[in-house]
Amino acid sequence: MNDSFVTNGWPMFSTYTDSINKMIPEAKAIYELREVGDTPIDIEAESVHPVCQHLKTQFGFHVLEVITGCDYPDRIEVSYILANFTDNQEVILKTKLSRENPVVDSVSDIWSSANFQERECFDMLGVHFNNHPDPRRILCPDDWEGFPLRKDYKTQERYRHMIVNPESKMNIEDREFANKQKALEAKQKALEKTKADAMAEPKKVAEIVEDKKDDQGEKS
Amino acid sequence: MSSQELTISGYFKNIYDGISSCLKGMFITIQYVFFKKHVTVQYPEEREELPERSRSRLFNDVQNCIACNQCAVACPVDCIYIASTRRAKDAPELKTATGTAIRLDLTQFVIDEALCCYCGLCTTVCPTECLTHTKDFEISMYAIEGMKYNYLDSEVKSWRTRLVKPEYL
Amino acid sequence: MNENFSNQEKLKTDLLTINMGPQHPATHGVLRVEIKTDSEIVVQAIPHIGYLHRCFEKHAENLDYRGIIPFVDRMDYLAAMSMEWGYVLAVEKMLKTEIPLRAEYIRVLVCELQRIASHLMFFGTYLIDLGAFSPFLYAFQKREWILRLFEELSGARLLYNYIWIGGVWNDITDQQLKGIEKFCHEMDLEIAKYHKLVSGNSILINRLKNVGVMDQNLCFDYGLTGPILRAAGVKWDLRKNRPYSIYDKFNFEIPVGEGFKGTLGDCYDRYMVRMLEMEESLKIIRQCLEGIEAGDIQAKVAKNIKLPAGEIYSKSECPRGELGYHLISDGGKTPYRLKIKSSCFTHVSALPAVAAGQLIADFVATIGSIDIVLGEVDR
Repeated sequence: MNDSFVTNGWPMFSTYTDSINKMIPEAKAIYELREVGDTPIDIEAESVHPVCQHLKTQFGFHVLEVITGCDYPDRIEVSYILANFTDNQEVILKTKLSRENPVVDSVSDIWSSANFQERECFDMLGVHFNNHPDPRRILCPDDWEGFPLRKDYKTQERYRHMIVNPESKMNIEDREFANKQKALEAKQKALEKTKADAMAEPKKVAEIVEDKKDDQGEKS
Repeated sequence: MSSQELTISGYFKNIYDGISSCLKGMFITIQYVFFKKHVTVQYPEEREELPERSRSRLFNDVQNCIACNQCAVACPVDCIYIASTRRAKDAPELKTATGTAIRLDLTQFVIDEALCCYCGLCTTVCPTECLTHTKDFEISMYAIEGMKYNYLDSEVKSWRTRLVKPEYL
Repeated sequence: MNENFSNQEKLKTDLLTINMGPQHPATHGVLRVEIKTDSEIVVQAIPHIGYLHRCFEKHAENLDYRGIIPFVDRMDYLAAMSMEWGYVLAVEKMLKTEIPLRAEYIRVLVCELQRIASHLMFFGTYLIDLGAFSPFLYAFQKREWILRLFEELSGARLLYNYIWIGGVWNDITDQQLKGIEKFCHEMDLEIAKYHKLVSGNSILINRLKNVGVMDQNLCFDYGLTGPILRAAGVKWDLRKNRPYSIYDKFNFEIPVGEGFKGTLGDCYDRYMVRMLEMEESLKIIRQCLEGIEAGDIQAKVAKNIKLPAGEIYSKSECPRGELGYHLISDGGKTPYRLKIKSSCFTHVSALPAVAAGQLIADFVATIGSIDIVLGEVDR
């Protein structure tokens, strides 16, 4: 595999972070080189728009490839992956948003490809983008409830008049066959155990009767 | 849009270009009427032979199955339902055609082939090669419950002679 | 006097909203475009997608890494090998596995054949949209040979599950390799026939020239890649600019649009770029057949694959554009998040920008020329 891009110093992390921190100090751009996989540059959520504008004008990142989101227990992380086709460069920007109120500025006035990407991020994760020209769901129906890619998402019971997961299609009987079999076996085992205990019990009764006879014998 | 003046020669060139390019195309298509061989397979009177590795309906040879549950774990859509009991200690020893000892008795082996995505992952993890994809592709049913195949059923078991490799029969 | 007012000022005209609905023979799937028209001219086009949404990214969080491959096939079902290869590249980069050389050659061979099959499908269906019926049948006859070869190799005609993590599933025999060589020779004659039959036809040229112009700035702004970007004049192909696998060993050109019959970046350029790409793919296949040698087809990979924690974004060149996989792993048996950047999703977003001012028939030609597959748009 051709790894010359990594060994020749691509992408130029330190150049980007130094330039961002100089022009937009409140972005607090940092990066930590990772051994496995790609290294993102972390920036603050409020400065996403100025940072993207700076990267487009200064370093020529004229293509926005994808805006993704990922749900963690305490935050939602949104990644912006930018590309420069003339200089053959690529960079990943990451921001952290709170789960209760994930709001960030839209970059659809910088790149028009952000329009659909941000709509999908809203649809799947519930991230709100300020100043978006068309903020509505894109892949799910417009009146769907919930955000599917969140980790605590439960599908709704009914959508309009239809049942979302009908029981007749869930193959419940086939799945439960093994459990039913185990329950039957456990019952049988318990039954056999009580029978075995009952077999052992008459001996004990005979002992008590003998003891009583001895007592009576002693008394009389 | 081009705003060139349409000259007299341009007018006639347009007519010539249009007619000649269409005639070139028609010359190619007319050859298919007279000279080329027909390629349509007149199904169902003629049937093509499918390649050996074709992934159509599944078949499980329950005689050789050790109920290891690997196929149910590997299935990406969870369409294989298996239940088994331990064989009693005094039961006679059984072995599969490949030599592995059978320690579990199958009580349920159902595959819902309406859910199955025919990916073949279950057949690659089967240690005794009893679960295979066959070439039977004409499996449409009137009711969707008919797509659930119970491989312990005696009628399904009788397909063994046709589908299992001769050395495993 | 009142008679001086023309009739038009007394009439009040309005825009007509037509639904180019989810069921339509020319939208290549379940794409709904709401068009507002002024008689025959489109004023505004709004695409609505999501009719084939299966939320595959959520499924991927519950499947182990091998089980995702059949699901990935079903996104762009007309170029399934490229989808599988893109995903497997991302996983192998994280695992840092060494792929045997024969497996790499088979992967390149199979994906280039898949590219030819996909472009043949484009050729056939695009011309049917425009009204020509015979090229559809000729293209499908050649495509049938490729699908038959894939059925012998992997077991299925369209959704293969063939490219696995670490290599490929089954080996390719010498007889099949000889068959591919014969196919290459026949394909050369076929492509010459297509050019004679279709590319010079003055009806097609007048239908496609200067229609749906997507120039370089629009392509960069909307993130369009693949044949659309190349037809706009930009020489950008991931196989040459970011070579992955063994593509740096092969000698091939990148066809670029030149305004063959009209403006640079119109529908005719996009059509021509795909026809020229088929010829380049044949060159790559011939070099593969010369270079392939005996060897292993699968590297040793653990039975339960666990990726180290981290993330990766890996891109590959599919017949329709650039496909990206953003994989975030937390060290477990299933991915924590798998995001697929599909090229067709971004291509659909560019439709409103080029639709204004076109006739409805031209709009149909534009939709066909961007070559979308709704399975990839909606995932």
